[in-house]
Amino acid sequence: MKELENQGKKKTTDSLSEIMNIDRLVHSPARLSILTYLSVVEEGDAVYLLNQTGLTWGNLSANVTRLQEAGYIEVVKEFKEKKPHTLLKLTDKGRKAFQGYQNKMKGLLDIKGLFPGRDVE
Amino acid sequence: MDTSDQEKIERRVFTSFFQGGFIEAFTGIFLLQLGFPALFSRSGFGDWQSALLTLPIALILLIVVFLVRRFVVIPRLGRVKFLPERRRKLSKLIIVPVLTLIAGAIVGYIFAENASLRHIFVGQIPFILLPIIVFSAAAYFLDMKRLYVYGAIVGLIFPLGKYLETVIVSRNTLPATILFTAFVFLGIAIVFLVAFLRKYQEPEV
Repeated sequence: MKELENQGKKKTTDSLSEIMNIDRLVHSPARLSILTYLSVVEEGDAVYLLNQTGLTWGNLSANVTRLQEAGYIEVVKEFKEKKPHTLLKLTDKGRKAFQGYQNKMKGLLDIKGLFPGRDVE
Repeated sequence: MDTSDQEKIERRVFTSFFQGGFIEAFTGIFLLQLGFPALFSRSGFGDWQSALLTLPIALILLIVVFLVRRFVVIPRLGRVKFLPERRRKLSKLIIVPVLTLIAGAIVGYIFAENASLRHIFVGQIPFILLPIIVFSAAAYFLDMKRLYVYGAIVGLIFPLGKYLETVIVSRNTLPATILFTAFVFLGIAIVFLVAFLRKYQEPEV
């Protein structure tokens, strides 16, 4: 019984240490929102992200730049009907990072006792 | 967030691209295509003449709806290329007009062969089932539950019109019922479009 309790404690400690390894670039609400909405489409433009995420132009632009620098998203600037048009796409690296983040967070939230009322399934 | 959550988000994003009363306008035009021929044929025009008179009205309205969607709605929502799974499902939407054509041809053939069917209840069944099947297929492929309701409403209009004919004895009761519902749907579409325009401003890039 005690051994089981110790195993449980170890598992909790290990999982908590995972928090430190979480991808902070994805963890920000604005960037997480951008990645989420890009993950459900093949590609989308800036107006699409602006509407879905509710971010301002400035905020969206700053966060997109950070994600682009990390190689998580690809940004293509083009002209459509003589107007500038920015197309955004999640890269394979970005998709992997987003999925990894999802799995890690799911693992963390499933720890028994960490969040009362939430049990491991 | 697991796969089912992402599926929900994808569905929400996809259905958000049908804002602005597009579906309601389309339903209204569908009903006009049923109502106007009925009205014209009861005003002394032949079946073919009635259909030909309706066609330009429906075509003009459809062009207006698609132009509004192309130049007013989409620029405000942004441009998106959906995932291959969604595009595959959407491509199957072609089944809907094919289904309409096949079902219409079968119904037309049955009615042409058995003119007596037009006067009994059995004759109403295709008019109830056809819109329900067509709208249900569209609801399934577009992931839009409200289309099931619209299908049921459209399906019930014909028997309702027939019933009202027995109450309000006029040869135009049935077409009037269908056209009234069509204009209600078109009115709803305009209200949705105005609400959409108020919510979404044209982006300044």
